[in-house]
Amino acid sequence: MITIIKYTFKEMLKKRAFLLVSILSLLYLSIYAFGLSKIFERPSNSIYDIIFQSEILSAGLFFANFIVAFLVVLTSVNSISGEIESGTIYSILSKPIKRYELVLGKFIGLSIMIVLYSSIMFLSVVGLNIWFGSKISFGWDNILKGLFFFDLGPIVFLALIIASSSIFSTINTGIIAIMAYGIALVGGVLEQIGTAMQQSQVGAFGLKSGESLINAGIITSLILPTDVIYRKMTAELLTQSSGISFMTQGLFGGMSQPSIYMFIYIFFYMVFLLYYGAKRFSQRDL
Amino acid sequence: MVLETQNLTKQFNGKGGFKEVTLSVEKGQVFGFLGPNGAGKSTFVKTMVGLLHPTSGFAWILGKPIGTVESREKVGFLPENFRYHDWMTGKELLTFHAELYKIKNPGKKIDELLELVKLKGHESKLIKNYSKGMQQRIGIAIALLNDPEIVFLDEPTSALDPVGRIEVREIIKELKSQGKTVFLNSHLLSEVEMVCDEVAVINHGRIIAQGKLEELLKEHTHVEMIVSDYTSELIEKISRLSKEFQFKEGKLSFKVEDREKIPIIAKMVIEADAKLYQLNTQTSSLEDLFINLIGKDEVS
Repeated sequence: MITIIKYTFKEMLKKRAFLLVSILSLLYLSIYAFGLSKIFERPSNSIYDIIFQSEILSAGLFFANFIVAFLVVLTSVNSISGEIESGTIYSILSKPIKRYELVLGKFIGLSIMIVLYSSIMFLSVVGLNIWFGSKISFGWDNILKGLFFFDLGPIVFLALIIASSSIFSTINTGIIAIMAYGIALVGGVLEQIGTAMQQSQVGAFGLKSGESLINAGIITSLILPTDVIYRKMTAELLTQSSGISFMTQGLFGGMSQPSIYMFIYIFFYMVFLLYYGAKRFSQRDL
Repeated sequence: MVLETQNLTKQFNGKGGFKEVTLSVEKGQVFGFLGPNGAGKSTFVKTMVGLLHPTSGFAWILGKPIGTVESREKVGFLPENFRYHDWMTGKELLTFHAELYKIKNPGKKIDELLELVKLKGHESKLIKNYSKGMQQRIGIAIALLNDPEIVFLDEPTSALDPVGRIEVREIIKELKSQGKTVFLNSHLLSEVEMVCDEVAVINHGRIIAQGKLEELLKEHTHVEMIVSDYTSELIEKISRLSKEFQFKEGKLSFKVEDREKIPIIAKMVIEADAKLYQLNTQTSSLEDLFINLIGKDEVS
């Protein structure tokens, strides 16, 4: 399996998709840095300014998260199905290796690369905010916890894509990945709106509608929990040790935090996807 | 036995593939597996190396059931539709496959194989810059990396020029001299005829002939005779001993399945007081045998 991990990592570095996403990321970070330089030009001291700054940070992380998801799709959608479609799999699986080793090896190899890339993106966005003088005081524990959840989302997404790539064709895997990510994203937004409706006390009707939207968000989180992990990341990053939270309201923030049960679910979700993908792949005729 | 199958079947939703194949291949043999396109040859090889799961039946490689990791430890395989990771160089590709076999310090072996397949000097080039023939050569090198006991070569010369074909033939002979077993799928009957000890012919997924090449060819000897002063009784007797019998104005043309029938027929002519002017024999080529077997199978 070590060989598969090693060569998967090497292959990703040599792929054009990686180069494309790297260029895109640099472009994004440059534009973001330019934006920050203009925003932080005027002095800011009020609590509203800090909330505004947390909104800017959340927006930066939201789009960085989006670019990482883009990289995950581009680099992994054909990780196994592509090997089958091109025929390179014949010379690999006729060797004395088990098929699950290929699935897990690909997952681990891609995970290493994605964690590295995702960490660079996260630390760049947070670092740029600190550099330009954000008034949000980040503790190391905030940054590390935030980083953990920022990296976890793409890994969960990768598990879904690897499982799908082990069972379906590249094109079908691409459709599944994009649809699932889109559903999770929309579901997450609906859940935030639902929470806002409940908190703003808009009457019994508003409470009921808010609850329905929250339920819709929970269901989409079960399909692909990337958005819920993203919300957890903002919560961990922006909640101070004093208990004060700068979690913002709106599209990029997180007003509702996932429960511990959701994270137990996420753990089993990943294990199940990899197990099921490897099992179905082992039974496949190639 | 290096390879053994018992009623092995692989079908796709009840169609295609091969049915109830029972084969055994001895150590050190070059075994030719012949058949027209779509007969099930590649499906059979892919089943042997664990890429396809059999529908029913049993098979063993070096005593290990197929589909297990152990059964593939001493196996080399060159796929028919060979494709390799084109972002690697030749040397990287060989190192990658050597690592998959868990070969420690493969450098020397890789150099030897590059020399053998005439790719020395091209090892630093990317695979995507290799010609199809070069990719087939490196495929052969990959198949030999682990010093296999049995090598499955599926159309190993399909992308090679005549010189390349001769070189592959020499490699096969060399493997045989080292006591290795070669399972050769090939359309090129002349190639099979030159290197194989034993063959099996498959058509519509079923084995229709199997045995030592020499014996199979001997079974189909073509005889031409010119006689005079014959009787109709003599001609009748000869026709009963032969196949595809033709007779016209003293000229007889027929096939015998056993060469031992030829002196018997000659003796019958002499004893019947007929005059024998000419007796020519010609052993069938593998191509004749193949066309004959496939033709008969299609009729039946």
